[in-house]
Amino acid sequence: MANEALAQSSNTWFNVALLAYIVAMVAYFFRLAFTRVSADGVIAGTAVGRRVGMFGTAVAVVGVGAHTASVVMRGLAAGRVPWANMYEYSSLLALVAVVVGLVVVQQRMGYGHLVGFVLATAVLSMTIGLLLYTPAGPVVPALNSYWIKIHTSAAMASSSIFMVAFVATALYLVKDAAERRVAERSAASFDGSTVGAAHVGGPATTEQRPEGYEADTELDTRVASPLAQREALSPVWFPVVPGLVVVVFVLAVWRAPVAAIIAGSVAALLGTAAWYAVPYLPPAAKLDNLAYRTIAFAFPIWTFAVMAGAIWAEEAWGRYWGWDPKETGSFFTWVLYASYLHARSTHGWRGRRAAWVAVVAFVALMITYYAVNLWIVGLHSYAKA
Amino acid sequence: MTETVTPASQQREDPPSGGRLPAIPGPIETARRLWRALRRMSTALLLLFALAAAAVVATVVPQAPVTAQSVEQWRTGEAGPGPTAASVIDALGLFDVFGSWWFGLLVVLLFVSLTGCLVPRYRAFLRVARRPPAPGRNLGRLSNTRTFATDVPPAEVLGAAQRVLGRRRFRVRCIDADGAQQVAAERGHLREGGSLVFHTAFYVLLAGAIIGKVYGFTGQVSLPEGGSFADTRIAYDAADAGRGWELDDHRGFVVTLDEFDVSYFDDLTPREFVSRVTISEQGAPVRTADIRVNHPLRHDGMVLYQLAFGMAPHVVVRAGDRVLYDDRVLLSPNDDQNLWSGTAKVKFDDPERQIALDLVLAPDARLDSEGQPTIGPDPRPNNPVLIGNVYFGALGLQRPIPASQFERGSGPVDTAMLRPGGNAALVEGNLSVEFVDLAYWSGLQVSHAPGRLLLLLGAGLILAGLLPSLYSYRRRVWVDVQPEGTGSRVTVAGVALQRKGVFTDEFDDIATAVDREVRS
Repeated sequence: MANEALAQSSNTWFNVALLAYIVAMVAYFFRLAFTRVSADGVIAGTAVGRRVGMFGTAVAVVGVGAHTASVVMRGLAAGRVPWANMYEYSSLLALVAVVVGLVVVQQRMGYGHLVGFVLATAVLSMTIGLLLYTPAGPVVPALNSYWIKIHTSAAMASSSIFMVAFVATALYLVKDAAERRVAERSAASFDGSTVGAAHVGGPATTEQRPEGYEADTELDTRVASPLAQREALSPVWFPVVPGLVVVVFVLAVWRAPVAAIIAGSVAALLGTAAWYAVPYLPPAAKLDNLAYRTIAFAFPIWTFAVMAGAIWAEEAWGRYWGWDPKETGSFFTWVLYASYLHARSTHGWRGRRAAWVAVVAFVALMITYYAVNLWIVGLHSYAKA
Repeated sequence: MTETVTPASQQREDPPSGGRLPAIPGPIETARRLWRALRRMSTALLLLFALAAAAVVATVVPQAPVTAQSVEQWRTGEAGPGPTAASVIDALGLFDVFGSWWFGLLVVLLFVSLTGCLVPRYRAFLRVARRPPAPGRNLGRLSNTRTFATDVPPAEVLGAAQRVLGRRRFRVRCIDADGAQQVAAERGHLREGGSLVFHTAFYVLLAGAIIGKVYGFTGQVSLPEGGSFADTRIAYDAADAGRGWELDDHRGFVVTLDEFDVSYFDDLTPREFVSRVTISEQGAPVRTADIRVNHPLRHDGMVLYQLAFGMAPHVVVRAGDRVLYDDRVLLSPNDDQNLWSGTAKVKFDDPERQIALDLVLAPDARLDSEGQPTIGPDPRPNNPVLIGNVYFGALGLQRPIPASQFERGSGPVDTAMLRPGGNAALVEGNLSVEFVDLAYWSGLQVSHAPGRLLLLLGAGLILAGLLPSLYSYRRRVWVDVQPEGTGSRVTVAGVALQRKGVFTDEFDDIATAVDREVRS
């Protein structure tokens, strides 16, 4: 049933796309490195940085083209929707995340510096997809339903947008910490000055701002040189924490020390990049807003995916909700994202606390997707095949 | 988070010196405090976190109602963190989180908190939504303003503004009081309304779930090809009936499995299972239909699902001329190997002299290159061999336990290996076993789930409420007109409570549209 030649070229295009994303990611980080901040806080790329950045965008767009070709061919080869196993799902997750990164984050919002990080998550997702590779083929009867088009695609689309939101949230936490420290320092140096004192409790604590605000960010850039933000953060933790987390994860799951060291180094590099990027990132309030808007966009889609899953379960298994690990997982992910939306409008929870809720929610999403499929016995265990 | 305590708040928290003892709250006061605490958003947030935490536990720890086998393995220590940890988990009731009393309490608290949050919000919403748009003062101070002069008289400007804002589905009110002529407009009550619908939908979901639990029925039945069952309580191997489900709620129709079909892909993974059934009422067949995975059959308020299937060899056991057993034995798949196994209780009237037959069926029994019998990978029974182990003695078959769990004690007394149509004499000719033929059996689930439509309605309301509650935003626009010579001086001003960035663009559009409408 599976068309060998098509499946083969699908794999080839997948590799092309992965390579393109890696190259584009490096180019975006290069662009980041070749950005200068003048004393009055204006951020501008150097000529070479801009050129490499444009090259990165072009390569990323080519990657999206190759990736789309890969996905379409995969669907044709298998004679069904191309999101029926974890390899295909991971691949599409990356594709949608990159498209959202390019179209929404870069084009519409103008936060090009963030795209490198989005590409990094896409590369990560595709690599995991490769580790879970399954040849193109038909699906077990339980998956053979039109609901796979509805339920799985909704889950996938929302997951990719949550992925972009996670990038924004993580960078928000970094940027916010930097802004806060710089403000505290300037408050200390202007001891007694009302400007400094106001700033400590000011933009970082968002009490006075209503939901969905556009904050007054002029103050933030005026207070101190943006480069001070980088100096305010210790460069030690940024590579160490993600590196260690990834090493432990890979060792625990695959018991492969070489792979663990490679993956850990990549994570450490990414952490360093995040540290380096701090001054060039959009103001914390903007990042917070980006995270909120993306989560608010993905949340109804996720809600719909869970509901469609319940309707499908009713048809396939004879009950709409049975607390199967996957159902439970999607439920707690939903509850946590709902908590995030509530936290943002709760006094005392706005800002960093809400952001941490979003981080936990994203971890929950990852558990729901990877851990439940791979290690926990339940009705969705077939998805790993 | 540390907060600096200002002297003022310190004073407030200090007990009044000298004078009364701190009052111990009475029951009414305690209840009122509890109610106030439950109504707080931060309490709701903590309850949501607790709900998520419970769900995380239920994902990591196997749940008895879902994966009973894993729970058993955790308890014996075959899997999981060991028997000691399992006994702690058991004591905390974590093997059945969603059936535990504390989870029930959590849900009740969440709904109490929800109610406490919604009642005042409903009241406020009804009050605010009925109120006409308020007149604006000090318009120049608002975040969005635009002023222009025109030679059109004020009355016409007001008309134009009303048309523009009306087209944009604003609620418009014309104010003409003591010299100030103004159009006040408001839009975006849908945000709060949507949020209320979203939250109210959870009561609908709860009602649907409760109705399904109380008045629902789910039963499983396994029947071989040619077999039939009537929809009555005793027909089901396992059943879960709600409290409100009465015995005579069963419809009584008879389902006959005419044929069961399995088809496979080239790589021998299953493509489809189909049960072809005939349903009869009062002895007369009323319909024939197929039941397959993802395509259940609905009949008379009951839904029939394809759940499982297996092999059902027809086995006859005789002692001399006396037939001890003549039936199809339902064999279930062994997960790792291409084998099907099951047990026949042959004779169990005398507790000391019972006979049981352990059966294993290999659908693809072949000889390998060296002539040794082996089990091939083909799940289709093209070349089946049935192996029967005979047990004799006090097997404990009279006890109410699953057939497969009898006392195997000293092991089988004899073994038979049969091809379809084959017959073997066992135990020195005292017993004969015949493998007549092979068929499939089909496992069906029959359900009656009355709360389904309500749940669907609740789900629809959740989505319908969620979208406006996230995307709609409340904003007010005023068009203030002051006469200036023969013409007028027009001030358009606006303010948004949410999504201010989006509103800035909208406001520009509105102001431009008013300007254009006035000029045309």
